[in-house]
Amino acid sequence: MQWSLFVNNLPYLLVGAFPEGPLGGAALTLVLALSSALASAVLGMAGGIALAMAGRVVRVPLLLVIGFFRAIPVLMLIFWTFFLLPVMFHINVPGLAAVVCALSLIGGAYLAHSVHAGILAVGQGQWQAGLSLGLTRMQVLRYVLLPQAIRIMTPSFVNQWVSLVKDTSLAYIVGVGELSFVATQVNNRLMVYPVQIFLFVGFIYLVLCTVLDRVATYWLTRSGRAAQASVRSAAQPVPGE
Amino acid sequence: MQGWLAPRYLMWLGQGFGVTVGLALAAAVAATAAGSALAMARHARYRPVRYAAGAYVVAFRNTPLLVQLLFWYFGVATLLPEAVMQWLNTPHSVHVAGLAVHWPSFEFVAGWLGLTCYSAAFIAEEFHAGLRGVPAGQHHAAAALGLTPLQAFRYVVLPQAVRISLPPLFGQYMNLVKNSSLTMAIGLAELSYAARQVETETFQTFAAFGVATVLYIAAVAVIEAVSHVVAHRRDLSFARR
Amino acid sequence: MKSRTLAAWLLGLMVTVSGIAHADRLDDIKEAGVLRVATFDSNPPFGFVDPATNHIVGLDVDYAKALADKLGVKLELQPTNPANRIPFLTSNKVDLVLANFTITDERAKQVDFSIPYFSSGQQFLAKKGVLKSPDQINSLRVGADKGTTNEITLREKFPQATIVAYDDTPFAFAALRAGNVQAITQDGPKLVGLLASVPDKQNYEIPPFTISNDYMGVGIPKGETRLTAFVNETLKGLEADGSAGKIYNRWFGPQTKTPLVRIFKIGDKT
Repeated sequence: MQWSLFVNNLPYLLVGAFPEGPLGGAALTLVLALSSALASAVLGMAGGIALAMAGRVVRVPLLLVIGFFRAIPVLMLIFWTFFLLPVMFHINVPGLAAVVCALSLIGGAYLAHSVHAGILAVGQGQWQAGLSLGLTRMQVLRYVLLPQAIRIMTPSFVNQWVSLVKDTSLAYIVGVGELSFVATQVNNRLMVYPVQIFLFVGFIYLVLCTVLDRVATYWLTRSGRAAQASVRSAAQPVPGE
Repeated sequence: MQGWLAPRYLMWLGQGFGVTVGLALAAAVAATAAGSALAMARHARYRPVRYAAGAYVVAFRNTPLLVQLLFWYFGVATLLPEAVMQWLNTPHSVHVAGLAVHWPSFEFVAGWLGLTCYSAAFIAEEFHAGLRGVPAGQHHAAAALGLTPLQAFRYVVLPQAVRISLPPLFGQYMNLVKNSSLTMAIGLAELSYAARQVETETFQTFAAFGVATVLYIAAVAVIEAVSHVVAHRRDLSFARR
Repeated sequence: MKSRTLAAWLLGLMVTVSGIAHADRLDDIKEAGVLRVATFDSNPPFGFVDPATNHIVGLDVDYAKALADKLGVKLELQPTNPANRIPFLTSNKVDLVLANFTITDERAKQVDFSIPYFSSGQQFLAKKGVLKSPDQINSLRVGADKGTTNEITLREKFPQATIVAYDDTPFAFAALRAGNVQAITQDGPKLVGLLASVPDKQNYEIPPFTISNDYMGVGIPKGETRLTAFVNETLKGLEADGSAGKIYNRWFGPQTKTPLVRIFKIGDKT
């Protein structure tokens, strides 16, 4: 394979037609993944807390909704949010927003279960201790349970975010110019180097996911460790007792 | 707004669903076998084997399935010699016990291969977690009873590891069914592909995608139900002992 | 608590937004100052990415530019494959579709068409010596593009053929090259354009028969009569002042990689 072809296409693969055109390629993949990660974290926390605290009236429909989003293939949901929702509600949803929306909903559904499991895993003892100290339920959740639960939930969050980076490749189906879409364009143009192009693109995703995995794990366990440390130091017996 | 689909199109969707189920089953069997082999390789005594298995898992878990499928279908096809490609693409049938078994299309083979390699990495992780979840005491107790390592593995460790891994394993099977939707990109006539075909000819977007979505959710729900039944029965059988 | 406020916000937003009345699309375009057009990105010479600039160029793009210039607005291109053309239009992601869009009665129920600006026949591309006459097609594996009239016509005329549909023509060609299919079908000019950029084109040929005759028009959202009238007038104007001929020669003229004699002029069929 001629290396010049490769080097010429590298900027297009990495940032699309930017700055003369919209952002694309690996940079757009990152933007999609980060926005979906943030949105799904918010949705997941909200859903998980709702599952942990709500009564049966709210919990059953919530479980059904979450079950729906966990059962539907990502591809189908992207089709729905991109093509069908606008027709139903007469709003214009730009491509990026539709993909972020679909990915956040699915990510949020998975994370809701993990958050719920994490909160349960912290244990009834902590709940009751908090309540007996006179804290309201929300305060117990915020100051006692969540800091401890986050360390338990870290692997699930990280797994889900890595999945997100991979799922952004599906935006290709709806013409959003992220890495897989751009790679396919280049492959269509060059025609005779599919192995090299797809291996290279796979390698870029591999780097993105592995780096994200390490960084997210470090960041989440660091704040968990900091919370633990502050809890432990606060619990030090006062000298003289 | 849009009426029901004509029976012809419902049949297309039904056939697509048949392909989805067939693909998922075939890939599940192969991926489970490959995944268990990989999981055991990660506990092997020789370091190169352990590292190779670990590298496989990292590589196939951190790259998107879409890119892997495109690689298998377009990339590998250029690497194989032409005679092999000819053979893979001509229809063959073998008569087994009075039934004619047809060799599947190349799209099916490539899709099956891609799905298997991808899912095997995840299933290997689940088995790995299951094996690690068996307490060390069990290994020691088995050794103390005079069992050889192989006997210990087969009679003591493996049953417990399988019990721990079963629920997440079924989770991976559900993911398999959902991931099979990606094979539409390589031309396999499964459910999402059929939904697109129907939509192209009839323009009844809602009906076509609605039916497809319902079928996917039904398939996933069935696997979830089976998972509950199996887990429940295992628990009962252990309780009886 | 959080999920309830969130739900309330979403509901309020959706109610407000769906209440907005439908203004005429032509006015919307002028007000926004942008004409959004869906074109191909992998189908030379109709719409493809120019490796030098990484922008999409082609015959359809030139027509889109002419339309945008006539309106005095900017042009924004949305790359598409054949299957997404109509969904982009019906879900208001683009204002027009200029992507080798064949006019059919079925499609005319979902979208409006301009007068035809291009015409071509459906042909096949195969390895040299494989395909000599249409009678062989029923016994072959043929690659087609999802969402095209070519796929539908092939199924109607050759029901015994095994049809494999791909997302776009280059995929079908990659399958042809790898031996997954024995022939691919598309509009003649697109096949000519595809073959021109293939490094080993001497191994392939386009047998000289067609199985249909198609007219291509601009795809317009249904019911936008003023926009349709504007597009039709602009197209006729382009033919009258010779720009249509110039655009054609830029991509299919004798100096190009894909020379094809011009048989159809805008206005030949209305």
